[in-house]
Amino acid sequence: MQAISDYLQQGINDGWLPEMFQYSFVLYALIAALLIGPLLGALGTLVVVKRLAFFSEAVGHGALTGVAIGILLGEPASHPIAALFSFCLCFALLLHWVKSRTQVPYDALVGVFLAFAIALGAALLLYVAKKVNVHILENVLFGSILTVTPSDLILLGIISVISWLLAWRYGNQALMSALQPELARIQGAGGTRANVTLLDYGFVLLIALITVAAVKIIGAVLVGALLLIPATTARLISHNLRDFFIRTLLISTTCCVAGVLLPMGLEIPIPSGAAIVLLASSLFLSIVLLKQLKLLKSVS
Amino acid sequence: MGPGIELKQLSLTLGENRLLKPMDLYLEAGQLHLLTGANGAGKSSLLKCMAGLMPHSGEVLRHWPAQKTNQDKQTVAYIPQLEAFDATLPITIRDYLNASIHARVFFRRINRQQQARIDQILAQVGLSDKQDRKLGQLSGGERQRLLFARALAQEAKLWFLDEPMTGLDQEAQAQIQALILRLKAQGCTLIMVHHGDAFVQQYADQVVEVSEGLKRVFVPNRSIDDPVIHPASEQEVLA
Repeated sequence: MQAISDYLQQGINDGWLPEMFQYSFVLYALIAALLIGPLLGALGTLVVVKRLAFFSEAVGHGALTGVAIGILLGEPASHPIAALFSFCLCFALLLHWVKSRTQVPYDALVGVFLAFAIALGAALLLYVAKKVNVHILENVLFGSILTVTPSDLILLGIISVISWLLAWRYGNQALMSALQPELARIQGAGGTRANVTLLDYGFVLLIALITVAAVKIIGAVLVGALLLIPATTARLISHNLRDFFIRTLLISTTCCVAGVLLPMGLEIPIPSGAAIVLLASSLFLSIVLLKQLKLLKSVS
Repeated sequence: MGPGIELKQLSLTLGENRLLKPMDLYLEAGQLHLLTGANGAGKSSLLKCMAGLMPHSGEVLRHWPAQKTNQDKQTVAYIPQLEAFDATLPITIRDYLNASIHARVFFRRINRQQQARIDQILAQVGLSDKQDRKLGQLSGGERQRLLFARALAQEAKLWFLDEPMTGLDQEAQAQIQALILRLKAQGCTLIMVHHGDAFVQQYADQVVEVSEGLKRVFVPNRSIDDPVIHPASEQEVLA
């Protein structure tokens, strides 16, 4: 870390880096963005293929309640990680479990859980807001680069390694299970049977882990948006799976880095999570517009 | 060579409704077995029970021929009824086949050897010139042939086919039919849900007619005795 700081300081002295890089919190936020961006992108491709956008959004909103419970149980208001992870995981597992045991259409079921999560979160947060500084809550919900610490980076690094190892080992099987679950139960990737149920629950676990990992930079509420928007954008301009994956990673990482640095550089007082999601959604709308105006070659 | 399939007191109950009454059955190895019956009779459910896709009572035993080499894999294929893919997903035929053949991650570049394998398999089902087509842009017949390609790539010996020709035009039906007959000639065991008397009369080795939860077994134009289980075999049990 010291070596990176020295290198950045050298860049500032030589005049090719802006002065904001002299602050350690900018460096921490930048590293966090470079770790979380590719991770959200990679998982986002599967979210889109599995049509689970609404699901990841619901889990993100479940974070409202997780944060409130954490503070009520005495966790630090700036990083109620244990309660956040536990609640998001329980919420996602319960939703998935109910889905597998009822005939209720999935979108309706997620809608019910989403409404429940927001209502419970709002009720608890109003109570919690009387006890803690409301700006701390804002940071957790919508992200803030000021709050990233070296220990957060270690947690993020561990979650990144776990997630990439799982993606490397089970990525193909997860893809085939997402496309045709019944078929994958007999012939999954590489001719082996896929344990579709286990893969689904593993995916739920990853969504909960990544919600926790992204909470400092993007904020718990906006993580779901970043799981969806880069992949939806890349899908518009990709012709094959490899392009789709790489472009999703690039869009996600670029938006995370730019969303962290631009508000600081331009002195715009908005949360980093909001900036990241605004950039990503602006890119999506721009591409839709360019395609409509026939200025961007349509992908057939 | 594909395996023989033996059902021991197989039955299926969905909620309060007993869809299949307890049945014993033996389907000989290397033959084409057709499951027929009226809509809702339970033939697709019976197929899924045999394939291990549906929880049931009783046993399904697979009598695989004794393996001569390590390459004699006990692989199973399932071809579902015609299903749609999301037309906007950027997944091509090449991507799909590559991801289904290899356990490695889908976003790595395909090397020359893997491409040659994909070319070879797609040539068998007549899709060589459509490798860059997205899944959502394929016709019904092309989608079904792609599923056959996926199973061919895995060298499946036991095939479960759930009305693979339903919803296809005559040309596509003929292509699928030719593929099925080629597999039969290679010694694969094929169990297929199908409507259509002409195909049944002409090609089926055995027909299992499902009606009101019971089965009636016959060879087209003649009745059969209880077949004998293959003596030199490895047994796989699907509870």
